[in-house]
Amino acid sequence: MGSLDFCMNKILIIDDDEELCELVSEYLTVEGFTIESVNDGESGLEKALNGDFDIVILDVMLPKMNGFDVLRNLREESKLPVIMLTARGDDMERIVGLEIGADDYLPKPFNPRELAARLRAILRRTEPISDDADFGERLDIDGIQVSAASRIATCDGVELNLTSVEFELLSELLREAGKIIRKEDLSERVLERKLSPFDRSLDMHISNLRKKLGTRADGSERIKTIRSVGYIYTVL
Amino acid sequence: MSLFLKIFLWFWLAIALILAVVTVVNWSTQTEPLTRQWQNFMGESVGMNSQTALQIYEAEGVAGLQTYLNRLASSERVSGIGFFDGNGKQLGGTEISREGFDLIAEARQSRNVEFKRLPELTLAAKAITDPANANFVYIIQVRRPAQTSLLGEITNRWLQILALILTAGLVCYALARYFSSPLGKLREATQNLARGDLKARVADRFGRRRDEFALLARDFDVMAERIESLITSQQRLTQDISHELRSPLARMNVALEIARQKSNAETQPMLNRIDTESNRLNEMISRILMLAKLESGADDYEQRRIDLAELVRDVAADADFEAKANGKVVEVSSADKCSVMGSENLLRSAIENVLRNAVRYTADRTVVDVSLEAVNGHAILKVSDHGGGVPEEELVNLFRPFYRVGEDRTRKTGGIGLGLAIAERAVSAHKGTITATNYNGGLKIEIALDTIKKVD
Repeated sequence: MGSLDFCMNKILIIDDDEELCELVSEYLTVEGFTIESVNDGESGLEKALNGDFDIVILDVMLPKMNGFDVLRNLREESKLPVIMLTARGDDMERIVGLEIGADDYLPKPFNPRELAARLRAILRRTEPISDDADFGERLDIDGIQVSAASRIATCDGVELNLTSVEFELLSELLREAGKIIRKEDLSERVLERKLSPFDRSLDMHISNLRKKLGTRADGSERIKTIRSVGYIYTVL
Repeated sequence: MSLFLKIFLWFWLAIALILAVVTVVNWSTQTEPLTRQWQNFMGESVGMNSQTALQIYEAEGVAGLQTYLNRLASSERVSGIGFFDGNGKQLGGTEISREGFDLIAEARQSRNVEFKRLPELTLAAKAITDPANANFVYIIQVRRPAQTSLLGEITNRWLQILALILTAGLVCYALARYFSSPLGKLREATQNLARGDLKARVADRFGRRRDEFALLARDFDVMAERIESLITSQQRLTQDISHELRSPLARMNVALEIARQKSNAETQPMLNRIDTESNRLNEMISRILMLAKLESGADDYEQRRIDLAELVRDVAADADFEAKANGKVVEVSSADKCSVMGSENLLRSAIENVLRNAVRYTADRTVVDVSLEAVNGHAILKVSDHGGGVPEEELVNLFRPFYRVGEDRTRKTGGIGLGLAIAERAVSAHKGTITATNYNGGLKIEIALDTIKKVD
């Protein structure tokens, strides 16, 4: 996936606002990315499936095929990372987006610096793993196997379809299973940003991860919330 | 008193009164003459029959009299008949009752017609004189029609009246229902409309009625239709405008960052200023959109059990974090365990708006106190600040969109006057109440919600 040269990551923007695409291209080019933009859902999906891109920036409101449908179709064949641009304040859009497999979301209008930071965070996570032994980490706890090299997580032998954020969250929680991890730390380690008050995105990622993991056979939750502190992967 | 009861009772009372009056008038004018008429009629017939009997007796003797009397006695209503001479000897006819003999004596005394009413019989006796001045008495006993007993007559009348009044009652009930039920339906629809259910319609429930009520219902529907289209188009307009405003804002944000990439130290402060203003604009649009959404459909929110204490602690912790920057503190003094049904997002935003508002206005280095109490099936959340409160007369306006207390417009508090409006909409979407009072040199906002019982 993606070129080894970090500075030349190829980004696909699917947004019907042509002027915005131009501006974002200009900004991100200076930041060291290579950009291509498409203005409708259908051709966006085609490009995403056939082009050699490292990440997609996907708007929700698109002509011909909306962002959710593009993402759904894309996820059937590809794990290409996707950042969704959602309408600010619309919780449904965020929840739906994350549920059908977006790696992150950014409410529109967004701060381009934030966009660049998130792009880098996701790209760093999904970068191909070198042969370095550290990266070949394997976790096997409580019926869940996580392989950092292949970026595949399974639960009781069934592969979990996790986004990159969820994969990282699970890895972090498992690595310190039985210990409380503070929200601030999780946010910095996984989302690579400081936890700000009233920001609920971490909670949303955790909630999606919970849904995908399901409960244990006895019905108990695997990931518990420790109110106003953080989260813990419970061990029996 | 409901319209139904009024119509029902008034009509019933009116009909009962009319019945009573008619009955009384009837009794005093018609009942008596009827008996008298009947007596007159009987008197005449007795007079004629006694004359004939006398003539036949004088012409044909006892045998002819007996034939004549037998003929009269053959009538079903006649139970006895007799013809007596001056000495009281029966010359012809059938057997006569004891009362008959008494009456004969009376008639002989008065030399005229005498009547006597027995429970089942009416007796009439007439004394007559032939040209030779011999005295005779003619007597007839007639069976009365079944109900002629005086007591029976009266009970019967009362039963009749009772039946009439009951029937009248039934009719009045139906009438009152007929008038009041369409009003009830109209009222229900009006209430639904007032509660914000713009889809409330009523004409369908009137079936095939074609009267003024049905016309009123149809007019109501036309009105509701119009209101619905006006309000939805207004809401859509607000939503569309806010939405459209975001596109240029998004482009501006990117352009701003590009400018930053190319700027020097001198222009940085102004670029920061543009950034701040664009963020404010964005925040404002978000809130208008949220308010528009809250005002449009109040019913289609997710309903989930929410641990209110946890939610309050959560939001308070965030608000405290934000408040610390200005040396202010948010303190949760009590948080009773209680749960409510509703949308977590909406309630979170209601509490968040109230708390942030308090943090914004409370004086530096003061405490915003948060308390959650569960009393009698209600959860009472109180948030009090130390910001000097607001003038009493402005308290009621606090929840109006874009309303800000007088001098605040010039203050650098950064509010736009939507926070409390959003909180109010969100709370009333949960059938709760939100009130503002001045308390101890500050403003106290109180939110009351219905709690649900713990299942476990």
